[in-house]
This record gives sequence, C-alpha cells and structure tokens, in this order.
Amino acid sequence: MKTTTMAFPYPVALDQSLALETAVPAAYAAAPVGAKIIARQVNFFYGEHQALFENDLEIHRNKVTAIIGPSGCGKSTHIRIYNRIYELYGEQRATGEVLLDGENILDSAMDLMELRRRVGMIFQKPTPFPMSVFENVAFGLKLHYRLSKGEMADRVEEALSKAALWDEVKDILRQPGTALSGGQQQRLCIARALAVEPEVLLMDEPTSAIDPIATAKIEELINSLKSKYTIIIVTHNMQQAARVSDFTAFFYQGRIVEFGDTQKIFTNPSNKKTEEYITGRFG
Amino acid sequence: MADLALPETPAKTQTWRQGDVIFRWLSRGCAFVVPALIGGIFLALLIYSLPAIKKFGVGFLVSPEWNPVTQEFGAASSIFGTVVSTLIAMLLAVPLSLAIAFFLVELAPPAVSRVVGTLIELLAAIPSIIFGMWGLFVFAPFLQAHVQPWLASTLGFLPLFQGPPMGIGIMSAGIILAFMILPFICAIARDVFLLVPRTIRESAFGMGATTWEVMYKVMIPYGLVGLIGAVFLGLGRALGETMAITFVIGNSHRISASLFAAGNSIASTLANEFAEATEPMYVSSLIALGLVLFLITYLVQILAQVLLRRLYRSWSAGL
Amino acid sequence: MKLRPPIGRRIINGIVSGLAAASAMLGLLALAWIFLGVLSRGVGALNVDFFTRLPNPPGIPGGGLANAIVGTLAMTGLATLLAVPVGMMAGVFLSEFGQKSRLADHSRFAANVLMGMPSIIIGVFVYAILVLPRGKFSGYAGALSLGIIMLPVVARTAEDMLRLLPNTLREAGLALGAPTWKVTLAILFRAAKPGLLTGILLAVARVSGETAPLLFTALNSPYWESSLAGPTPNLTVTIFNFAMSPYPDWQQMAWGASLLITCGVLALNLTARFFLGEKHS
Repeated sequence: MKTTTMAFPYPVALDQSLALETAVPAAYAAAPVGAKIIARQVNFFYGEHQALFENDLEIHRNKVTAIIGPSGCGKSTHIRIYNRIYELYGEQRATGEVLLDGENILDSAMDLMELRRRVGMIFQKPTPFPMSVFENVAFGLKLHYRLSKGEMADRVEEALSKAALWDEVKDILRQPGTALSGGQQQRLCIARALAVEPEVLLMDEPTSAIDPIATAKIEELINSLKSKYTIIIVTHNMQQAARVSDFTAFFYQGRIVEFGDTQKIFTNPSNKKTEEYITGRFG
Repeated sequence: MADLALPETPAKTQTWRQGDVIFRWLSRGCAFVVPALIGGIFLALLIYSLPAIKKFGVGFLVSPEWNPVTQEFGAASSIFGTVVSTLIAMLLAVPLSLAIAFFLVELAPPAVSRVVGTLIELLAAIPSIIFGMWGLFVFAPFLQAHVQPWLASTLGFLPLFQGPPMGIGIMSAGIILAFMILPFICAIARDVFLLVPRTIRESAFGMGATTWEVMYKVMIPYGLVGLIGAVFLGLGRALGETMAITFVIGNSHRISASLFAAGNSIASTLANEFAEATEPMYVSSLIALGLVLFLITYLVQILAQVLLRRLYRSWSAGL
Repeated sequence: MKLRPPIGRRIINGIVSGLAAASAMLGLLALAWIFLGVLSRGVGALNVDFFTRLPNPPGIPGGGLANAIVGTLAMTGLATLLAVPVGMMAGVFLSEFGQKSRLADHSRFAANVLMGMPSIIIGVFVYAILVLPRGKFSGYAGALSLGIIMLPVVARTAEDMLRLLPNTLREAGLALGAPTWKVTLAILFRAAKPGLLTGILLAVARVSGETAPLLFTALNSPYWESSLAGPTPNLTVTIFNFAMSPYPDWQQMAWGASLLITCGVLALNLTARFFLGEKHS
C-alpha cells in the first residue's frame, strides 16, 4: 500500500513495507538546513475529543507556509500549538514534540513569555487593544524591553513602517486603535507583533474579515516580510495560498494529508483528497 | 529604514510568574469573602440569639406575646405582619408587573418602550426611606381620606375592612411595598419575554393569533420558569423591606384581621426597637427575629436562584 | 367546524391591551406622585443654611444638615474604597479563573443571596461584630455595612462585564507574551471600563440612600464629628429621626434631606445609564 511521508519537504510515495525506519532517519540525517519549526507526532485533544492525529510538519525558515483544508480540519488548532496559546483553556492539551530551532517548545521548562515574543500571532478578527495606536504598538515593547521614551518612539515608528502603516497613522498616533478601519486595524496588529522582533509570525486567516483592497495590501506585506521572518498562514482561500506561499500543507480531519511546494500542490497534487479539495469537490 | 540594534531582553519572566501566582491567590481570596460573609452573618445571628432560643424554644415562632416589661417575647405578630404585607404586595405587584412588561415588549413603539422602561426602572432606584416619607405624609392620609372610607362602606361586611380607617397600617404598607417591588419583577419579566425566540413568536402571529393571545398562550408558558423566578426575587425583596414599612405600618404588636389595623413586620420591629433595647433577653429576642428573617430570605433566594438558573440554562440549550 | 367569532377575540385583546397600558400609566403616576411630592415639600428647606449649618434644637428655626451631608459622603466614600477593590478582584476570579471552580460557583451563588439580603440584617451583623464588642457606635461600622451591601453588586457587575469581552482580546495580549495579571489589568479592565464604572455608580447610588444598616452602626449625631470613630451624622438616619419627631421645622428638614437624596440618587442612575447607553450605540 502506498503512503506519503512527511519526512521530506516534498511528498515521496513510499511502499509501506519500506516503512519509516529507513525513511525517517535518512531524512533527519539530511537535516534540511531550512527548518525553523519541526512538529513531530503531534496529537491534540479538546478534553476527551482528539482533534489532531500524528501531525508531522516542517516549517522552513524565511519562507511562507500556507495551511489549507476544509472547515474543522484542524488548521487553526495546529498553529495555535506553536505559541501554546491553547493553554489559556484548561481542557486542551497537546502531545508530541515541536522543535523551534531545535528546542522543544512543548517542554514545561520552555519559557512561555519568551516563546510568545519569538512567535507572534495575528488573529482572524483584528484585535486592537483599548488604547491609542501608539500604545498598542508599544504594549509588547514595554513588556519585554526597557527603553527610553525616544527609543520607544523610534521602535514604534519602525514597527509601523514595517507593517506599511506608518504613513497612514503618523498623525493620529494618539487616537484609539479602534478608530482605524478594519484593514488598518489588522496591520496595526501586525505592527504590534513585529515590534518585539519575533522570528515567526502565525497568521490565522488574517484577511477573512477584511475588504479585498486591504487584503491585497496585507498580502503584499507578507511578501515583503518573508525575507526576515518565517511566516505560517492559515487560509481557507486557496487563491490566496497559491499567491502568497512557498509551501503548502493540506489538512483533512486532523491529519496532514500532503505537504510540499505550493506550485506542485496546486498544479499536480500527489494525493487524491488534495486534488479533490483543490478542485472544489468538497470543503 | 535601517534596523535598530535590539537591546538584551531583561529576565523579567521570574517576577512575572510570581506576579501571576499572587494575582490568582488575591482574586481567589476576594471571591472567598462573599460566601464567608454569608456564613459569618448566619453564625453571628445564631450565637446572639441563642439565649432567646434557649428560653422560648420553638414556641418563639408562634407566640403573639411581645412584652418588654415582663421580658416575654414571641415572633408571631412580626411574622404575621411580614407575611400579610408581603402577600398584599405580591397580589398587586405581580399582575401589574406582567401587564407593564406586556406593554413594554409587545404594545409600545420602541422609543416609548425605552423611555417608559427607564422610568419604571427609576422607581427601583428610589430609596426605601423616601417611600417611607411619602407613604407617611402623603399616601397614608390619602388612603385615609378617600379610599378606606369607600372600602369600609362598600365592603365593610368583610372583617378585612372593619375598624377605624387610620391611613397607616397593614394596607398602606402592602400597597407601598407593591410599588417598590414592581420594577424588579417587571424588569425580569421583560427580559424573559425578550428571550422568547423570534421564530416562535412569528409562528404564533403567523397563525392569526392576537397580541394578547401570543403573550398568554405562547410567551408566558415558554418563560414560566423565569417568571416564577422573578416572582420569588420580588418576594425576597418584599420580605426584607425595612424603612418604608417602618414608617407606615403603625408599629403595633397586635394581630388583627382587618387590613386597616396597625401591625409590624420583622424588619420594622428591628428598626424601631433595637436602639432602645437594653436588657440582654430583649436584644437576644430581637436578634432571633433577625435570624428568622435571614432564614426566610435565604430560602426564598435559593428558590429564586434555582428557578432562574434553569431558565437561562434551558435557553442556551435550546438556542 | 365552527369558527370562534373573531370580534370576540379582538375585544378581549383590546381590553387587555388597554389594561396593560393603564398599568404602565399607573407605574408612571406613582413615580411622578412620589417625585413631585418630595420636590414640593422639600424644596423649601433647601437654602444656603441647609448646606452650611448644624441642626438647631427643635423650635428654633434655621439651621441645616451640613454635618449630615459630610457624614453621608464620608461613609459612602469609605464604603466604596472597601467594596470596589475586593469586588473587582472577586469578579476577576469569577470571570477569568473560575470556569470549573467550585469556589466560583459558591461565590457567585453567595453574591446573589447577599444582594437579596435585607440591609437591616447586615446592620445587625456589623453591630454584633464591631459595635457590641467595642461598646461604641462608629462611622467605620456604618461604612463597613454599606461596603458589605455594595460588594456583591460590584463583584457580579465586574464578572458580567469581563465575560462580555471576546476571548480574542485575551489571546492577543497573551500572544505577545504578557502575563495574565497584566492582560487583565491593562487590557481587560480598560476595555470594560464603561460597564464597570456604571456598575460602581449604581452601587454607590444604592447605598447612599440606605438607612437601616446605619441605624445601629453609625447611629447619628447633631454635631460636627472630627472622625468616623464615633457616632457619625448622616442624612438617612436624620430623616428617620426628624420625620418621626413632632416638630414641624425638623420635619421640614427631613423633607429637604429627602429631596437631596432623591435628586442625588436619580442623577447617579441617569448618568450611569446614559454613560453605558452611549457606549452601546
């Protein structure tokens, strides 16, 4: 019986009899230098109900990885493991290993606050804090760094510039964050995340609540950011995934069905389910 | 723009973890204060009323005696007054509240409903003592001059309306109490009616029912649990009302069949006599009265909570 | 099948609707009657003297209730200082940490019970624990009983307002690496500010008109008191004493005080509603 293995950054059809004993060690021996995050045999539970099954995934450094799949397939659940935000909810838990630059972030010795500085998150609905634009961006800076007023102002400006928002807000820094338009609010959230110099950006359907023009701006932004950051974007919009990402993972019912080069996934998927999803047969 | 060099991240994380632990324990402690208070109140009342309980036993609850001179005390007249005034208040307030809620939800245009609703709620904000002042100096004389003589002449054959009309007494206490609890019952009833799913209302109207029929046949049965909870809540308030009652109930330890007569309630007895009570048995008996009131109120509150909880749970299950 | 005559049903509908409207009018009538009654009888007493002088012995006209005004403000203020921090933190526990906790269930239930407890019982309680052992009445005891009355209101309001906030707000704060206490204090409280302030204002309005809990804790006093450590003058007990007295000028003062309290309480209520209503639209 044929199966695919996640050990390589592109799908390889293996005879099951060959099994993973040979494939996996070989893959890790060839340890692709570009791996920023490696998820190994990750399972996730909401109470008694299992939502993710034996997820193995590699996220490449300084590349955009898109995560696609039908509703309820576990895409958001999966990336929420990368900053352990699920721990806000007592009955949710994850097993397995997730290595960020070789360190297992699921280990209890991992410093949560430092993890969340290094791995930033943008949510589906823009979440400006109830404070001014300036204070929104400065919030994370004040948490993690000790800066003088001048340095703070410089860093806020820098973050807003990186988020392509500076020109639009430079005169209204003292206005509440909620006074901005939807697209601007989302870019504000991106600026807020960028201000603390993260290494990874998790984006959970960042443009699904925003108008098309603002969406285009954010996609442009993602493109410009990827040279410095590793970006993972969950999206139900396949055209967006095709436009924006370098690699794509297709999730179905809590499992990773296929992972590979975006071009390949969308033009010549190896798995039948992937093909059905991409051609709109379901989902 | 050139990247600025990032300074070293200071090791804040240890202090933060401690901060979170302290925060959690602090909030837990504050949450604990509330049930601790309930327990404390019960214990304090119990301890100080023990002498009276030991002396009078269960008979305390049914004895109509109240004599500071002979030091013989019984709760019957106070309990009687509490129950009767509350009964009058509920008989008046419940239908009125439901009628007003019906008006606010179904009949009035939205702007009118909002204004009238707010005004009715302001009635709830008026302090008890203001009701007392108004009751003693305005309403009771009004009853005495215009309402009670009429009642005596038309319904005077009933023992309820016999005796000299004095204005103050159980009747005016009951009526004023009704106005005090009206806004509470009305507000909850309104919430209950607003919670009925739109589709159910529309189906009823769609079958050609009149507005009243929809209320009576669909909305009231649908929200019955919540309405009963509202009634219990109003009941709880009525039982504990103090100052308004103290002003107008007449402060007499007699049990009489007539609504025109003076009487007292547990709360009014406490308010009137606590300051003057010097002998330990007197004080203890008063506190025993307080204990009775505490237990009655507690029971009523529990019933109200249970019913209202079931209402909200069934809504969220059904939605 | 025979049809029920629609005219009969319409008549019934009309009658009941009429009664409902009449009930609403009755409620409004009561409100107007009370307010106008207090206004007409009290306005005459509110002059400069009322706000600046001490009460005169009966029979001597003039005088005022300045000490009672100050006393009420002081005790209400102290009660607020006691109840708001404890109540807010309790509300935080119920909302943020208490999803599965038994303490949270007990606390929430107890708060509802405490809110329905007759205020005179709370007065008796504070009398038993604070006045009786020390042998003296005090404004501190009065403030404590007012604070106990305010506590469950503040706690439940805080819980309700915090629960209304979307979870993504919490997640966004935590995702930046902030500790829970910082997310709660810096973000959640700020986001819920209108609702929280409204709740506090309404609680203050409620206790400022309370009489029963002060009857045996703060008692009353006709003098200027320099501290809260002894009997403390206050408006509500003064109204009680003066109204029950046989002296017309004292009764007049009682009306003045009644008007003052009524206006204050209504003003606080309307402000709170307006404030919250604005934010909602």
